Amino acid sequence: MPAAAPAVPSRTPSHWERFVAASKSRVRNVQDYFALAGRGLGFIFVRPFYGQDWVQQMDEIGVKSLGIVLLTGFFTGMVLALQSSVQLQTFGATMYIGRLVSASMIRELGPVLAGLMVAGRVGSGIAAQLGSMRVTEQIDALNTLGTDPIKKLVTPRVLAALVMLPVLTIINDFIGILGGNLISSAMVGVPTSLYWRTVWDQIANDGFTLRVIPIDFVQGITKPFVFGGIISITACYFGLNTTGGTEGVGQSTTRTVVVSSILILIIDYFLTQILLSVLGP
Amino acid sequence: MIDDESSDSRTATGKLPSDRRLDGRRMGERTTSGVRAAIRDELATEPADAETNDQPVIQLDHVSLAFDEPVLEDVSFEARKGETLCIVGESGTGKSTALKLILRLLVPEKGSVCIGGKEITGLSFEEALEIRQQMGMVFQGAALFDSMSVFENVAYPLREHTTMNEDEIEQRVREKLQFVDLEPDKVMEQLPAELSGGMRKRVGIARGMANNAEIMLYDEPTSGLDPLTTGTITRLLLKLQRELGVTSVVVSHDIRSVFRMATRIAVLYEHHIVFFGTPEEMAGSDDEYIRTFLGGS
Ligand SMILES: Nc1ncnc2c1ncn2[C@@H]1O[C@H](COP(=O)(O)OP(=O)(O)OP(=O)(O)O)[C@@H](O)[C@H]1O
Ligand SMILES: [Mg+2]
Repeated sequence: MPAAAPAVPSRTPSHWERFVAASKSRVRNVQDYFALAGRGLGFIFVRPFYGQDWVQQMDEIGVKSLGIVLLTGFFTGMVLALQSSVQLQTFGATMYIGRLVSASMIRELGPVLAGLMVAGRVGSGIAAQLGSMRVTEQIDALNTLGTDPIKKLVTPRVLAALVMLPVLTIINDFIGILGGNLISSAMVGVPTSLYWRTVWDQIANDGFTLRVIPIDFVQGITKPFVFGGIISITACYFGLNTTGGTEGVGQSTTRTVVVSSILILIIDYFLTQILLSVLGP
Repeated sequence: MIDDESSDSRTATGKLPSDRRLDGRRMGERTTSGVRAAIRDELATEPADAETNDQPVIQLDHVSLAFDEPVLEDVSFEARKGETLCIVGESGTGKSTALKLILRLLVPEKGSVCIGGKEITGLSFEEALEIRQQMGMVFQGAALFDSMSVFENVAYPLREHTTMNEDEIEQRVREKLQFVDLEPDKVMEQLPAELSGGMRKRVGIARGMANNAEIMLYDEPTSGLDPLTTGTITRLLLKLQRELGVTSVVVSHDIRSVFRMATRIAVLYEHHIVFFGTPEEMAGSDDEYIRTFLGGS
């Protein structure tokens, strides 16, 4: 941007110029996003480690999200059992209800729902916190005091999310399957022992050894790991790039939730496709 | 626009009569008339005791920077060792931006910024972190970390960059809090949100000074404070300058304290430095804008 007074009288830019400028800034934003992701992840292995911040974020992201994850998981499992029972009854196959519920929970609903819930609860929180740190000059203060804000703020959050999202998802899966158990024994008439046997058949049909890691398990762990990265990096990106005072903080929060939810749903599809083609159905 | 000769006029004389003005004035003496008299006094004597050497510690050379619109254009100023440079100007003219350039939180589009004779605009991020450790900054809004207690805030630079043990850190924190007239035992465990605005500001000053930096930058250290505290802080800056030879850059709206502590003053107006010189030169300036600026404050 020229600092001197423009020699040519200023005119309003044409639509094309505006389009070009907007596209350029989009591309730059995406570059910045990946640069942040790279540095945030890279610093996991670089001293100094902010271990205390990491533990605190594990608590913030993981432990404090437990409630909503339990609640959503339980009801999702119950409704899954209810819906499947209707379908299965028409074929007289209600005994397979455990397979259906567990497959849906572990492959899709567990990771995606946990991801969306965490994006709403934790992503917005991170964006709001980093955003207000930005607008109150606390990020500048960190820089001034010789701390790299990415190392101090982003890395512990990303690391905590990478660890905690798979954990939350496993809990979510389990609670969902438990909810399915409740419905199927109370309303569909499938005994608990049969239910859990079919669940186990689904998860570990071919046994569970190091050589044969079941596909459900791989999908069920890979997805939340990726989602954890997406949520935390998106939140940090929008938080750190907040401008425009408290209003800007609100915008960053909204954007974080919208963008990370969309990314979760889109990437879920491609990830499933990749995993299926690599590992077979 | 830099007036180079002017800087020496003030260092020729210069021994302080005594320390009385620094610590001697206690609560009882802080009446308005007392303060006014003291200011007159202070203006009459030379505030600087600086052994000025020729190498500027901070130097901005023909710096230009624009965000959406130009903020600074062709701005040059410098501060030598032990100097207190005050930057004044209307709101939104880029004073805070100038400080951020010195800290290399921002990089100029044109021109150069040198700290201790070293060009800092081209430094890598890590090198910039190193350079910043020589500097202490007091932010306009204090910028305290609101997830940390007052103690942890002031201790932060010490924990990050020194090998001091817990006892030494606590001692230093207490010393700095006392320096800004806060009672360590009362405030240390409080969170920034529990403090008043002025207290936050003073904690910000304590944190800025914590690692005894040789270069101190203050962004409106006294705005929003009562006249007594303003006086205390002004005295405190003078004390740092005189006793420790700290080089300071102070952004301030309070023209009285500017005249008390500045060795040189830079006036920013419409993206440019319109005046750079000693307080005497400023007081004697015929420039219309300077006159209105002085008169209007
Ligand atoms: N990060 C930024 N992005 C865009 N514009 C900015 C940014 N920071 C500052 N500005 C603009 O630069 C100009 C100068 O801002 P600056 O904060 O340096 O002013 P100031 O002189 O410190 O004012 P005050 O006395 O009110 O603190 C303002 O017009 C402001 O809108
Ligand atoms: Mg300012």
